[in-house]
Amino acid sequence: MLSYILRRIVATLPVMAIVALFVFSLLYIAPGDPAVVIAGDQASPEDVERIRQSLGLDRPFLIQFGSWVWRILHGDLGTSIFTNLPVSTMIGQRLGPTLSLMMVTLLLTIVVAVPLGVVAAWKAGSFIDRAIMAFAVFGFSLPVFVVGYVLAYIFALELEWLPVQGYTPITQGFWPWLQNLILPAVALGCVYIALIARITRATMLEVLQQDYIRTARAKGMGQGGILFIHALKNAAVPIVTVIGIGIALLIGGAVVTESVFAIPGLGRLTIDAILRRDYPVIQGIVLLFSFVYVLVNLMIDVTYTLVDPRIRY
Amino acid sequence: MSEDLLRIDDLHVSFSTRRGLVEAVRGVTLTVKAGEMLGLVGESGSGKSVTGFATTRLLDAAGRVTGGKILFRGQDVTKLRGDDLRQLQGAAMSMIFQNPRAALNPIRAIGLQIADAILTHKRISKDAARAEALELLRAVQIRDPEARMNAYPHELSGGMCQRVMIAIAISCNPALLIADEPTTGLDVTTQKVVMDLLAEIAAARGMATILITHDLGLAARYCRRIAVMERGRIVEEASPKTLFRAPQHAYTKRLVAASPTATSRIEDLVTEEERERTAAVVSKPRPVPAHGTPPLLEVRKLAKRFDQGSAAVADFSMTIAGGESVGLVGESGSGKSTTSRMICRLIDPSEGDIVFDGQSIGHVAARDFHRSRFRKDIQMVFQDPNESLNPRYTAFDCIAHPLMRLDGMRGGEALRKRVEECAERVGLPLDLLPRFPHQLSGGQKARVGIARAIACRPRLLVLDEPTAALDVSVQAVVLQLLDRLRRENDIALLFVSHDLNVVRMLCDRTIVLRNGGIVEQGESRALFDNPKTDYTRKLVEAIPHIETGPALAAAL
Repeated sequence: MLSYILRRIVATLPVMAIVALFVFSLLYIAPGDPAVVIAGDQASPEDVERIRQSLGLDRPFLIQFGSWVWRILHGDLGTSIFTNLPVSTMIGQRLGPTLSLMMVTLLLTIVVAVPLGVVAAWKAGSFIDRAIMAFAVFGFSLPVFVVGYVLAYIFALELEWLPVQGYTPITQGFWPWLQNLILPAVALGCVYIALIARITRATMLEVLQQDYIRTARAKGMGQGGILFIHALKNAAVPIVTVIGIGIALLIGGAVVTESVFAIPGLGRLTIDAILRRDYPVIQGIVLLFSFVYVLVNLMIDVTYTLVDPRIRY
Repeated sequence: MSEDLLRIDDLHVSFSTRRGLVEAVRGVTLTVKAGEMLGLVGESGSGKSVTGFATTRLLDAAGRVTGGKILFRGQDVTKLRGDDLRQLQGAAMSMIFQNPRAALNPIRAIGLQIADAILTHKRISKDAARAEALELLRAVQIRDPEARMNAYPHELSGGMCQRVMIAIAISCNPALLIADEPTTGLDVTTQKVVMDLLAEIAAARGMATILITHDLGLAARYCRRIAVMERGRIVEEASPKTLFRAPQHAYTKRLVAASPTATSRIEDLVTEEERERTAAVVSKPRPVPAHGTPPLLEVRKLAKRFDQGSAAVADFSMTIAGGESVGLVGESGSGKSTTSRMICRLIDPSEGDIVFDGQSIGHVAARDFHRSRFRKDIQMVFQDPNESLNPRYTAFDCIAHPLMRLDGMRGGEALRKRVEECAERVGLPLDLLPRFPHQLSGGQKARVGIARAIACRPRLLVLDEPTAALDVSVQAVVLQLLDRLRRENDIALLFVSHDLNVVRMLCDRTIVLRNGGIVEQGESRALFDNPKTDYTRKLVEAIPHIETGPALAAAL
C-alpha cells in the first residue's frame, strides 16, 4: 500500500512537469513581447527594458525555464511585478479563506447530496424522488453569481441573519468564521450538490438491483441497514470519483464566489493578477491549483482501496 | 395427520411489465411438512423461483401476489407487514440463491455478513455474534474458519460461497429453508458436496427444505417428493420413483425423457411420439474414418502459462479425426476452456504445436489468425448464448457476419440465401431472422450461435459448454441438432463440458482433464463405465443418478 502511494507520487512528477512547462509558456503564448505585455500601455521603453532584465527575458527560453523550475523547487515562486512581494507570501495570505470556503462547501455538499441521492433511489419513481431530481435540475441550471446575489439579498439584506460579505479568520472564533462562509458555500455548492445527488441516485439504483441486496432482505435486515451498510458502500467508488472531479468545479467556482461575497481569497487574487498582467502570480496560482488537483486524484485512488477490497495495486 | 408447516393455497403471482400484466404463477397449491425436503422442478419460466420468492416475500417490486394464500404455521405470509415480516425473514424462514458469489456483498467480510443475520434477530453483543458466526462456518465445514471470517467473497470458490450462504440461512435456526437452484453453475463434485451438506444440516436440525431446481436427477436424489411445475402450475406431484417409472402428465414425460441419465442415448432424449418424426435422420449411420487417414487436428505437448508462472495447461496432446467427436471434461479450473481456446486460436499457447490438416497453426499469433485460411475451418460455439450474441445484431446479422468477413460475401441475394440455408440447417424458423437476441428464447439463441459457427462450413467445431445455460428440453434438441450436423456435414466436434452424461452421449472419445493435465482418456462408454483413475470415478459418482435417488433419500 505504502509503496503504491510512493509509486503514485513519483508518477505525478511528469504530470507536474508538463503543467509547469505549460504554465511557464503562458507568457510566450500570449501575443507580443512579454516585457511589453507586462509593462502595459503607459510604459516607457526604459520600463520595458527594466522588466526584461529583471525577468531574465533576454536569455534563451530553455535556460529561463530551467532556472524558473530550479527556483520553484527551492520554494521560490518569484516576485509579483505589481506589489513587489514574493508570490509565495501573497498566496500564503490568501490560502486560508479559499481553503475554508472549499472545505465548508465540500462538507455541506456531501452531507446534503449523498442522503438526498440515497432517499431518491430508495423511493425511486415516487413523488419524493421526482421532487429531489427536479431540485437537482434546478440547482444545476443556476449560475453561481445568480444564486449568490439572491441568497445575499434574502438572508443578509432582508432577514439580516447572516453578514452580506467579507471574511473572518477562524482564529477569531468558529462561529464568526462559519457565519461568513454559509452563504458562499451554499451558492458555490448548488451545482455540486445537484451533480452528486444525481450520481448517488443512479449508482444506488444499480446497486439495489444486485443479488446481495436481495440476500440482505432475506436476512430480515431493516431498510436502513440495507441502504447504508450494504448498498451505499458498494456505490461509493463512482460517488467518490465524481466528488473528486467536482473539486475542479469548486476551484473554478471559488473564483466567482469570492468576487460575489468579497472574500479575500485566491480567487480574488487570480482575478486581480490577471487584470494587472501579474504573470509571476498567475503562474504561481495555476501551479498550486494543478498540484492540489493531482493530489486530490491520488487521494481518490487511495480511497478506492479503502472502500473496495477487490481493488489492489 | 401432522400439521403442515407451509401450505400454499391457489397462489397467483403477476408481474407488471411494459406489455401489461404477466401471470407467472397461476394457482399453485402445495404443502410442506416440518423437516421434509420437497423438490420443486421445472424449466425456466415455469414459475418455480417466483413461488419461492413469493413465499419468502422477496419478489421484485414489479411482482405482486394477486390471489391465494401462503400459510406458514397457520399465518398468512402475504398479509405480513413491517416488523412482523422481518421477524419471519431470515429467522423462521430463509433462502439461499443461485450464483452464491453474487448473492454475497462483495466488499464486506463474510464473518460480518453472517453476523449481520444473527444481529438482526438476536439481541446479543457483536462479539457473541462473531463467535456464533465462527461456529456456523465450522458447521458448514469451511476449512480454517478463523482465517475465513475476514475473507471477502472474491477470495472464495463458488462452492465455498454457497456454504457461507447456507451458514447465513441457518444462522437463526429457521423451520423452512428455500434453496433456489443452490448448485447450478457449480462443478458436479462440488454440487454433490454442497447438496450432501445441505441435506445433512436439514436432517440434523429438523429443518424443512424446498429444493427449487431444473435438474430432475438432483431432485430425485435428495427429495422424497417432487412437484413438477409448468407455466405457473403444478402439473404433477409424486415420489421420484413414480415420477421416473410412470410419469402421468405429458410435460413430465417430456422432462423425464430429456434428462440425460447414465444410460440414455441421444435418440432417447425425446418422447416416443417425437422420436418417430426425427427417426429418418437419426438412423443414418455414422461415417467411420478409414484407417491411415491423417487426423484433422493434432495437438502436440500444448502448454499455457499465465503471468504468475503456474501452468494452466501443461503437456496436452490429442488428435481428432474428421467427423469425430471428442469430449473434454473436468472441473472448473482444470484448464479445459483454456485448451479449447488455444485450439480455436483465440489465445496463444506458451509451448507446443497445433497441426490442422497437416499444417502447423500453433505459431500463428491469435491476433492474426483471423487472416488465416483456416479461420473458416475452425469455429466456436460459446457457452452462454445470452452473452455471446451482440445485442445490437439481429439473428440475420449474426449469421451473415462471418460469411462476409471470412467468405468474402458482399450482401444482397446470395448472402440472404446462404443465411437462410444456415438457419434451416439448425432448424431456426426464417421469420425469426430479423429479431434481436432479446426477442429470442434461450433455445433459439443457441441455434443462432450454432448457425453462425457453421455458416462458413467449418471442419472443426469447438463447443465450450454450449448447453450449460439451457433447459434440459432445449438441451436435448440442441444435442440432437449437433449430432445430426456432425453426421450430415462430417464436422468434427470438440465438446467441452462438465456434464458427463451429455459427453457420454455425444462423444466417441473423452479426455478427462485435471489441473491442466490429462488424467485419463479413451472411448466414452468404456471410460465412464470403468473409470481407471480415482478422479474420474469421483466425477462419475457425483452425477446425480436417478436410480440411486430413493435409496439415498431413505437413508436420510
